Amino acid sequence: MEESIMIVEGICVVIAVYCALRAVFEKNTLLKFPFLNVMNFAVTGAIVLLLPYPITIGVAIAYFVGSTLESNAIASTISTLEAI
Amino acid sequence: MDLILILAVLLSLIGGIATVSVRSPFDKLICLGILTSGGVLFMVEKGYLDVAICIALLMPIGTLFILLLLGKKQEVPK
Repeated sequence: MEESIMIVEGICVVIAVYCALRAVFEKNTLLKFPFLNVMNFAVTGAIVLLLPYPITIGVAIAYFVGSTLESNAIASTISTLEAI
Repeated sequence: MDLILILAVLLSLIGGIATVSVRSPFDKLICLGILTSGGVLFMVEKGYLDVAICIALLMPIGTLFILLLLGKKQEVPK
């Protein structure tokens, strides 16, 4: 049981680091957002899986809402500026 | 407990170095999001979960203010 949880945590950490690197080295600005979203999902999964306290689910929900709102705000501003 | 610290260090380093070196302002905001996720992970790792909730909810507000300023600054020359 303990081994399988460690494997899942490791997969989340690897996905987060890989997507952060892809988001940094991507040339097109609009193509950065899928990688940023995947990185946020992986960080949320790592927060939930790595800590045993019950308030952790509150942190995960708050981080999920906040990061999604942030990336959607940047994306909608870019599309509005390009439409003008 | 150890993996989350490794993840926080890597995300903070990647986001910080990229924020300094990238030129475009929107790319800087995206890299700043990566840096903030690393900072939230540091607080979660130390056990300050209420502080982490507060920061995760206040992070998009700062980004929204920077975006408003960017939109005004880019609309004026046109």
